[in-house]
Formats: sequence, C-alpha cells, structure tokens
Amino acid sequence: MQQLDNQEILMKLKSQKQFWDIKKKVKQGFSDQQKIGINDIQKFAQSCEIEDQLIKLISHILKKSKKRETLKEDQIEFLNTSKIKWTELLFKNLDIVHQKAKNQEEDDTNTDSKLYIYDEKNLLAFLQTFKQQQPSVLYQNVQFQSNKLLNINIPLKSSQQILDKYQYILLQEELPEEKINKIRKSIENEHLDIELEKIAQTYVPNGERCLLYLKYFEFDHQETVLQQNFAKLQKECQNQLFIDELLEIDGHEISEDTFYFVFQEQILTCLKCFIRDKSIKENIRIQLQNGMKKEHAEFQLPVAGFFPFKNISKYVAPLCYLSTKIHIIYALFKEFFCRYFCFLHAISSEYNSILSLCMQIEEIVSTRSPKLFHHLKVIGCDTLKLIIHQLIYCFVGDMDPPHILTIYDQILGHDSLEILVILCVGFLNKYKPKLLLAKNYENVQQIFQELREDKFQELVQFAYKQ
Amino acid sequence: MQNKKLKWKSDFEKSVIIENFVNRGWIKSQDKEEDSSDWNVYWATVWNVRNIFNPKSGFRLNDQQIINHFPNHYELTRKDCMVKNLKRFKREQDKETYEQQGWNFDFLPTTYVFPGEYSLFVEEFHRCPNQTWIVKPAARSQGKGIFLLRKIQQLKKIAGTTVTNNMTQLNLASKENYVVSKYIDNPLLIGGKKFDLRMYVLVTNYKPLKVWIYNKGFGRFCNEQYTTDVAEIENMFVHLTNVAIQQYSDKYSQKHGGKYSIDALKFYVESAYGTEAFQKMMDDIHSIMLTSLKSVQAVIQNDKHCFEMYGYDILLDANLKPWLIEINASPSLTTTTPVDKNLKLNLINDVYNIVLPNDDFPDNEQKQQQITKVGGFSVLYDESLDLMNRKAQKRQSVKIWK
Repeated sequence: MQQLDNQEILMKLKSQKQFWDIKKKVKQGFSDQQKIGINDIQKFAQSCEIEDQLIKLISHILKKSKKRETLKEDQIEFLNTSKIKWTELLFKNLDIVHQKAKNQEEDDTNTDSKLYIYDEKNLLAFLQTFKQQQPSVLYQNVQFQSNKLLNINIPLKSSQQILDKYQYILLQEELPEEKINKIRKSIENEHLDIELEKIAQTYVPNGERCLLYLKYFEFDHQETVLQQNFAKLQKECQNQLFIDELLEIDGHEISEDTFYFVFQEQILTCLKCFIRDKSIKENIRIQLQNGMKKEHAEFQLPVAGFFPFKNISKYVAPLCYLSTKIHIIYALFKEFFCRYFCFLHAISSEYNSILSLCMQIEEIVSTRSPKLFHHLKVIGCDTLKLIIHQLIYCFVGDMDPPHILTIYDQILGHDSLEILVILCVGFLNKYKPKLLLAKNYENVQQIFQELREDKFQELVQFAYKQ
Repeated sequence: MQNKKLKWKSDFEKSVIIENFVNRGWIKSQDKEEDSSDWNVYWATVWNVRNIFNPKSGFRLNDQQIINHFPNHYELTRKDCMVKNLKRFKREQDKETYEQQGWNFDFLPTTYVFPGEYSLFVEEFHRCPNQTWIVKPAARSQGKGIFLLRKIQQLKKIAGTTVTNNMTQLNLASKENYVVSKYIDNPLLIGGKKFDLRMYVLVTNYKPLKVWIYNKGFGRFCNEQYTTDVAEIENMFVHLTNVAIQQYSDKYSQKHGGKYSIDALKFYVESAYGTEAFQKMMDDIHSIMLTSLKSVQAVIQNDKHCFEMYGYDILLDANLKPWLIEINASPSLTTTTPVDKNLKLNLINDVYNIVLPNDDFPDNEQKQQQITKVGGFSVLYDESLDLMNRKAQKRQSVKIWK
C-alpha cells in the first residue's frame, strides 16, 4: 500500500475544491485580526465544523491513495483450486463453442443458439459441486442441512444484520420538490465519496445520477482522458476476435428488449472495448478466472483477464440511460464491473461473492419462509435455481430501468451487493402465494412468464413481510 | 339510458376497439347498412363521418349518439390545412398576445404547399442550396409517397414531367396537394438511430376547448443508423420512422416493433440531459399541442356528438427542441406487440371512460364536474376554467364598482 507523507497529503489537499473553501472560511473568520494563534484557529474550526470537514477530507485523500489490490487468492485453499477447475472448464467450453460456431457457418440449418461460454445456471451447478465433494475444511463446524443447495463453511454475515442494514428503505417516502432540489445542490457541490455514498443510499434524482457516479469514481474532470482511452480501445476493435462473435450473439437478447434495443450498438461497442482493456486486470477487485496461460492453445484468456459470459450485455444496458457519450457509459460500466459485478462471477468466500450472496438468500428464505422453501424443494425447483438469473444480472430485464438504477445506487451507496439479497428474498415472497400452488417446475415457469412488473420499493417491502 | 345497453358500430375490425365495446357489455349494432343510424357509439372512418355530417345525407344525430371525429377534422389533420391554419393563426395574433399566452410558433419547419406556393418554395430552395427538403402528399398516411429532395429535378416524381430550375409553376400529375418542408437533418438520435414520438391527445370540445393528454405513447425508431450521407438519402429505413415502412427492414423485430415507450424516453432524456432540459422539452411539446388546437378552434365545427383522439407525431432535434410533423385523425390501432396492444386497449378504454362516464351519456351535472384525470389521460387545457375565472373576475370587478 502506498503511504503518503505530509507534503504529499498537502499537495493532494490543495487539489481539492473543498480545501480552498475551508481556507476561505478560515480567512473570513479572522479577517480583522492581526495576531492569530493556533488555539484561536482550533476554537474557530471546532465552532463551525471546519475541523470535521478537514478530517473527512484528509481521510478521503488517504483512502483514495491506498491502491486496492486485486484479490487473487482466497483464504480458503479449496476455493482457489476450484477457481482453477472452473477456468479449465471454461476453456473446454470455449473450444466447444468455437466448434459449434464453425459448424453453424458451414451448415445454415444448424441453428444451435447456445453460443456462450457459460451462463448463470452453469455457474450455480459448479458451485453445487462443492457440497458433493465435501472437503473437510469447508464443512468444519457446519450443521449439514441436506435441503440447502449450498451449505459450506465460509464467513457469512448474519441474515439479521443484512435485513437491519436495509430496513431504512421501508421508511423512505416520496420527497417534496424542495428536498430534491437540496439533494441536487449537494451532488453538485459534494466531492467526498463518503457524502456521495450517503446520498446514493437515500435518493438520487434522475437528472443528477450520472454526475454523482462520475464524481464518486473521480471522473468528473477527466472527460478528455476517458475519451482518448476509449478511442484507443475502439481502434483495437478493428482486429476482430472470436470472442467478438460471442458478444454479438449475446447482444441479440438485448436487441429484443423493449427498454434496451435502442442501445444495442453502443452496448456491443462497449463490450468489445472492455475485453481488450488492459487496465481491467489492475482495477478489478477480484480475479474471476485463474489466468494460467495454456501452451499451444488456440485461445487464451482475453486481455481483460476473463472470459465473457452469457448476458454480459445486461450490465452495460442500464448505464446507457445516463449519458449520450459512449466513453462516459464505458467508463461507468468499467467501474461498476470492476468494483461490484465481478464478484457475481468469482469463486470466492468474499462477502460480495456469488457464493456468499446465494447462501445468504437460502438462509433467509429457509428460516423466514420455511413453507415456501420446502415446497419448492419438493416440486424439484430449488430456491436458488429460481432466482439465480435475477441475482446474477441484478434484475436487469425484470425491472424497468429507473428501478435498476436505484439498485445500482444502493450498490454504490453501500459499496456492496447485499441489496440483491434483499430483493431476491422480496421477489420470492411476492410470488409466494402462486408458487405455493405450483405443482411442478413448468407451473413455476408459467408464473414468471406472465406479464409482470417488479418494482424496487415493492420488492424491498416484500422482503420484510413474513 | 341507465340499464339500457348501448349499441356500438365500428368501421374498423380492430381488437382494441371491439374488445373495449364487448367488455363494457355493449351490443353490436345489427344493422348492416353503412348509413344506418341504429347505434349509440360509432368508431367511424373519416369518410363516413363526412357523409354523416353532409347536409345532403339528411342524417341528424340524436342525443344518444356519439362519434369519434369532428365533421371538418381535416382542418387540423390534413398536412396542407394544418400548415394553412397555423400560418393564419400566427398572423391573427399580435406578438404581444401570443407571447403573453406563452404560445410559440417556432415548431413548424418552413413549409410550402404545392402547387400554390411552388414559386415561393423555389426562391427559398435557391437561397439554401445545401438544404434537404421532405416532400409529402397532403392527405396520405403511413409514409406513402414521401421522399427527400435535394434537387428540383426530383420533383418529376410528382409532376410527371421534367422539372427545371427556372420553372415558376408546377403542374402536379395527380390532383392531390403536397407539402414540402425543410428536413430536420439533426434529429435527436438514441443509439445512433432517428426516431419520432407518437403521443395521444383527446379533444372532447372545441368551444370551449378541452384537451386531454395521454401519459403513454412511444418513440418509433428507424432500423438503420442515421446518416446525412447523400448516398443514403433514398434509404427510407434511415429517414422515415413510420412503422408501415420500418416493418420491411431486415432488422425489424417482431418483439418490440421498433417502439420505445415514452416513459423510457422521458427517463432517458432526464437522466442524460438533466431535469431542466427534460421539463422544457415537455413544456414545449404541450405548447405545440395547444397552439395547434387553438389554431383551428375557430374553424372546427364543434358538434356536441363528437370527440376526437389525435395521434401527434413530434420529432425532437439534437437540441431537444420538438417539431410538429403531423397530426393524425385516425392514429393506427393496429397492435404490433403485446405491450402495444396493452397500451392501445387501455387508451380506448380511457377515451370512453371520459366521453361516456359510467358507460352512459353524461347528464348536465356530470358535464359540470371538473375531473382532471381519468386513467392515463390528464387535462392539458380546459378553456372553460379560464372563462369561469374571467367571469368570476368580472363579477368581482362589477361588485367593486357597485
């Protein structure tokens, strides 16, 4: 970790607008005085909260100066070997997909559309294999519950902790215009991520969301740099890769979506640039696949460090609402993926990981809605299999864009994906009456095929209903 | 009329109309004669309405009959009449009045009606040599007969003979009029594609004017990336947003039909351009609707048996400025997707909830009720409130004098 000395801290302070605002305030407070002592300044700073502001500002600088290392090794060795196995599996899948694509080119009648390296069902099936293998380290001190799909010994937060953390959302009411205007002004003036997080947790006006995200990721004064970087990546896209074909096929589903079809070309461009972006490897918070180079293999892992998966387009799509500029959309997508969405595809015991989130959901549903949990098991439809799609893709395609972006606000606001646990539990509770009447998997599928409108606030409310 | 089932008649075999009538328990008029009068509710074509109101037909509507067009709706919905009325209305208002009222006339691209204004067009054409123009038959729909023009010689398409730069008169091959407008070549693009907006407006009365606006509508997208490249000027998949045209594109999707909900569009504009820009855009759109309706208020035959649901076609330019393309008297009720069907079913349902509250002809008391929202419709403008306020103010001032 990079340590800053005092001189460096001062230089960074001077680059912040807030520093100069504080300085101005202090000067104004002592404008008439000739002699000013340290005690005078301290008293003044405490009286008008300047001390607090300065502390926050310095903490912010120190936090930003710490370079977050990409998590490569998990504390549980079994998961490290599992990641290697998972990567090997994906390499095999890639070969199969490549062969399928070749066959389709040669034979027009062969329209097998499963041209993707993996999807959420494949990932869940792989996670399930941990239980079957039962390595002792994963099952130490774990009460083996055969009814759960995933039940292994990784550090988990208590369900109550998660439920308590997001309960404040239930109390949120529609804000009057005056308060919304106040929030708008805060977003315009605020620079500290801790303050921006607070805003994101409560309410983000649609018109200021892009600005909040840009400020949080410190892109608000870097548009030229973002534009130049994106232009370089676009140039590299002129060299076609096999993966590009898979991204184009992935885009077909988005191209049928009534909310996102207009952005189809932008989404594809962003993804093609993304897999070629060398900086992803340094910025991503967790390594998705173990990047072992395979000798004599036709394909290696893309430059970004991982194989794209089915429906990767869904992560980009909602962000297309935020800006008319593709380099901004790209920059936001890159940050969201590297900070948060990467955990949804990483074999890891981290709190945000797919394993952890799945286990949290199973825990909450099995304890708070045991009847539903048991019924789904009996009809051959595990809870996780039912909601894995919504979980992995953050409800994109299930909720309208304004609600999806509210989810993104919460993710950023809490620096965590736990809101997805709440929403998945709420989703199951909402459809519980119909699910309890379902006799088999086909019945369950029918329930979700009907025209439905799931909303953020509504699902949160359902999460807390028992 | 209570407890009596209303009889309906429709010239359109459209499920969104028929389902609405059937769901209300109304009975289909059995009289097969086109000019029959055995109905209470009639969703008619514009031609049949014209026949009904033709004095020679001898037809007189009774108090228990309601029909979906005003007799001379074409004053608003024929392109050449709309242009004529808007220009006349602008001339009639002095600048002070319309600025005071908040009316803005800067939403109609420079337009000439052929053949009458051909020489004026030629003058303007030569003044703006790099301008693209769009030529449309005055009374057709679904994009039929529309083309883009960059050379006078292209008018051969409608003249039937060679057209040269020095001609001052144009004899059209057919008897129909054409409107020629400056092409808005900087439309707002989303995902690189051009689109226009279809929005629904219901007028239940012209004198005083009462206008309802529907909260649902959609953007109609072209399937090809927009370009001003001259080589693509005849590519209708780039320039014309009509679904009737775009459905023949290879890229047309049955799932969404190129229709992007107006809620999604509003969200996009607000998120990408800011709340203020979004609000101004909506205010400008509402202003277009009101000004256009006001422009024909004096000429439309305000029959109490009539209401009309218009389909407004609005184009946004790259500065988010809305432009009025045209107003449709019979907006398509064909449904291309499940979402589309849901929208139009609810639209017709809400129309009849307004014009026939409680499935019956409103009595005087019901007519006086100041309801401002019914289903997806909200009152955009109610002139009777203005009149009431002015009467109240007059009474007040008389009181003061006394």
